[in-house]
Amino acid sequence: MVVWFTLGHGRHVGGRERSDALVNEWLVAALALLAGLVPCGVVCLRGEPTERLVGLSMAGTIDALVLLLLAVGYRRGIYLDLALALALLTFAGGLVFARFLERWG
Amino acid sequence: MTPREVVATALLVFGVGVELACCLGVLVMRGVYDKLHYTSPATTIGAVAIAAAVVLRESVVTYGLKAMLVALALLITNPVMSHAIARAARIRRHGAWTAQEKDAEDETVEVEVDRR
Repeated sequence: MVVWFTLGHGRHVGGRERSDALVNEWLVAALALLAGLVPCGVVCLRGEPTERLVGLSMAGTIDALVLLLLAVGYRRGIYLDLALALALLTFAGGLVFARFLERWG
Repeated sequence: MTPREVVATALLVFGVGVELACCLGVLVMRGVYDKLHYTSPATTIGAVAIAAAVVLRESVVTYGLKAMLVALALLITNPVMSHAIARAARIRRHGAWTAQEKDAEDETVEVEVDRR
C-alpha cells in the first residue's frame, strides 16, 4: 500500500498530469469503501422491510462516495456528475420506498 | 509529501474509516431505529471528510466543487430520508397517529383501521 501511495503521488511532473500510475490513493479508498457494501447488502437481505430500507439508503451513500472517488482516481472530472445524480436519485427513491412502506408493503 | 497532502490523506483515511464503521453499525444494530442512527455519521462526517480530502488534494475547479456538491447533497438529503424511514417504521408498528384537527380526517384514519 505504501508503494501505491508513492506511485500516486508522482502525478504532477513538469506541470502536466501524469496518469501512468495504475493505482492511486483515491482508487484504494474506493476499493476500501466497496467493502462497506457487503454489510449493507446483508442488512438488505434480512429483517423488517424498513430495516432493509435503511440498508439500501446506506448503500446509496456509499455508492455515491465510491463514484466520487473513482472519478477523481481515474482523472475524469465529468464523471463526478454521476455521483451527484446518484446521491439525489437515491434520496428520491428512498422517499418513494418509505412512503410505500408507510401505506402498504 | 507536503503537509497539505498529509492532511488530505489523513482526512481520506478517516472518512473511509467512518463509512466502514457506519456500515458495520447498520449491520450489527438491532431494530430499525438503532440502525437508522448509523446513517447520519456516514453522510455528515464521512462524506464531508472525503470531499475535504478531494478539495485539499486536487484542483478545486475540476474536482473540488463537484465533490463539495456531492457532500452537500448527501448532507441535506439524509436527515429527510432518516425522518421518512423512521416515520414509516413507526406507522407500520403503531398505526398512523390521529390528527388533532377535525378537518384532517383523511386516509390516515383508514390506515389505522386497516392495521387492526
